[in-house]
Amino acid sequence: MANDETKESGGSGQYDATQYHEVVKGDTLWKIAERYYGDGNLYTNIFEANRDILNNPDAIKVGQKLRIP
Amino acid sequence: MKKNLVCLVIALFVGTMMLAACSSDKGPAEVAVKAAEEAINGVKTEVGKLVPDQVKSLEDTLAAVKEKFGKGEYKAALAEAQTLTGKAKEVIEAAKAKKEELNKTWTELSGQLPKMVEAVQSRVDILSKSKKLPANLTTEKFEEVKTGLAAAKEEWTKALDGFKEGNIGEAVATATSVKEKAVMAMEALGLPVPGAPEAPAPAPAK
Repeated sequence: MANDETKESGGSGQYDATQYHEVVKGDTLWKIAERYYGDGNLYTNIFEANRDILNNPDAIKVGQKLRIP
Repeated sequence: MKKNLVCLVIALFVGTMMLAACSSDKGPAEVAVKAAEEAINGVKTEVGKLVPDQVKSLEDTLAAVKEKFGKGEYKAALAEAQTLTGKAKEVIEAAKAKKEELNKTWTELSGQLPKMVEAVQSRVDILSKSKKLPANLTTEKFEEVKTGLAAAKEEWTKALDGFKEGNIGEAVATATSVKEKAVMAMEALGLPVPGAPEAPAPAPAK
């Protein structure tokens, strides 16, 4: 199941407004971009925001938490 | 005749005593009114920004005390001026508490708002390049978000300036308005809002 969330650990400086998407079976960056942006062509924004955990835009793994800028 | 003279002497004596009593209150009353005035003037600028209603009440009371002093009601002026000095101290304490509360709110807001505005800006920038907006976001709504974002950024700058100038009450009020706008924009964009229950993920594109 797809999931999005923010992180907030209570402290004033700890708030994180980033939206996350947990990868589920059948997800591709294209599909995720379509879902959040309405346009799959914008998948590169998600890829670039997650370069620390993604090497290849075609290789995402179930359970990975992707930042959705 | 003799009786009348005695009465007159007594009346004169009583009158003199009363006058003496009144004049003996004049000096202390004058000092007390001055002290109250100094106590209020010394704090009204700083404290007035935090608890304006209470400072206004002090000033009104001071004006009434001065009026009594002017009418020669020294005893009443003395008593009220002394009470007023005590009230001024209470107002200072109330202002300190208010400042502490406002500082706490400001710390919280200034920790959240830049990140909220940044998240909205980032999404707006990306969606502006989109050929088709995501489900549940109409063109009109997206235009509203962009307008709200511009206003929020402008207000946030004002809030920061207000804080730098020491107008913390004004800064917190402006920052609260910025947060309302940012929350509205985040909700419209489907972004998770701080403190709110987790937002549902957007529906898969069809």
